[in-house]
Amino acid sequence: MPTTSTARRTPPRTPCSIAPPDLLARVARQGTPEQRDAALAALAASASMRTQRSLLSRMRLELGAETANLFAGLEGASPTRRQTVYDNESQGRSGLPGTRKRGEDDPPVDDASVNSAYDGTAATYDLLQQVFGRDSLDGAGMELISSVHYGVDFDNAFWNGAQMVYGDGSGQLFVKGALVQALDVVGHELFHGVTSFTADLTYSKQSGALNEHFSDVFGSLVKQRHLDQTVDEADWLIGAGTLVPSMGKALRSMSEPGTAYDGDRQPADMAHYVDLPDDNDPRNDNGGVHTNSGIPNRAFYLVATALGGHAWETAGAIWYRTVTERLGSLAQFSDAAAQTMDVASSFGDAERAAVEKAWREVGVLT
Amino acid sequence: MKVSVVRGGGLAGITTRTELSASALGEEDAHTFTEKVRAAGLREARPAGGGPSGPDRTLYEVVLDDSGSVVRSRFTDDDLPESVRRLVEWVDARPERSHTRER
Ligand SMILES: [Zn+2]
Repeated sequence: MPTTSTARRTPPRTPCSIAPPDLLARVARQGTPEQRDAALAALAASASMRTQRSLLSRMRLELGAETANLFAGLEGASPTRRQTVYDNESQGRSGLPGTRKRGEDDPPVDDASVNSAYDGTAATYDLLQQVFGRDSLDGAGMELISSVHYGVDFDNAFWNGAQMVYGDGSGQLFVKGALVQALDVVGHELFHGVTSFTADLTYSKQSGALNEHFSDVFGSLVKQRHLDQTVDEADWLIGAGTLVPSMGKALRSMSEPGTAYDGDRQPADMAHYVDLPDDNDPRNDNGGVHTNSGIPNRAFYLVATALGGHAWETAGAIWYRTVTERLGSLAQFSDAAAQTMDVASSFGDAERAAVEKAWREVGVLT
Repeated sequence: MKVSVVRGGGLAGITTRTELSASALGEEDAHTFTEKVRAAGLREARPAGGGPSGPDRTLYEVVLDDSGSVVRSRFTDDDLPESVRRLVEWVDARPERSHTRER
């Protein structure tokens, strides 16, 4: 057993530690609260560290928030958020990360971009850890590094494989200072890190559009959870207010793809899929990865609104398990449909039906 | 002499075009422009690397048109040479440059 602090509840010893994990998992799902606690404790006591972690994080997803304290006791020392924000001071790639400005336990500093990066990173870590039981992007507590003021008036933000990079924006495409202030943009970029450690979806055409899609989903969920919004209260936009107003309201709309800005080409269903080559031409965007993501984005929106409540609780949990456990790097839309339906079955018939209906509505299932 | 910078990809997937002609500049700025272009080494730039880029990287196409002799180079945020970055930033900062959306 992992060490636990004295303040924490000690899991009850149980005599059934030789029961197979799948039986224990079934008892945990279907038993009385007492049977559930005993079964979870037995799982924690009997399984190897690695098996235990994956089983427990799966059970946590299925059983939801009411068992959060129990899981904290079972999983040992609580994961710790670790992050540092740097100022790139316009130096670009060769100057990364830059000058250290704020670490995890430091108070706010006199630079709004530094504080926004800090807060957005914290909100993203907390969604991953508190809702999905994931300790940072790699699931192993990696420190989250951010650099703000990257380059000169740089109109972009991205996860470079090791850290976050935020430009200030030029005022021509992005409002100056806006990118790092958008929680869903921060969550989107950091989730590219999660995807790289899990499904590692190849950034080209459909698998690339799925990579984009999962980042939009979890970026939106970071924002929705921070604002404590239900599916009806959420705006389902990505990067609202980051574009200069003459261009449009947001980068993407998950509820109505193709309506976010003037010239938004996102399709809402497969009949309007935009087949672009992946040929290094900047106009073709790796084969339309930010275009065709509109199709799975709308499927997620349809599932979340069909299920109601907080999108991160069930729809988010289904999508989280799909990207972290089910998909390979060359997955296509049809694979995402099949796997989200299969994962949804373990949540219930209504959940599975909602997922299937959504993929039909966007034309991925025919 | 004219330099066009087409930028796409990025987190938005929106493509823009920025252009600057030496003819739009005063004598001193035109001289600096020529120097920046020479320092960028676009004529020697290697062809774009193969394979998909990392997520949300800006994709660059830099075209140098020098009296009809056209050199086109493509880069991403991961491999944009420092000298080309300095040229792009200089062009961006010139009030004489044009900046448009590209469909
Ligand atoms: Zn992205």
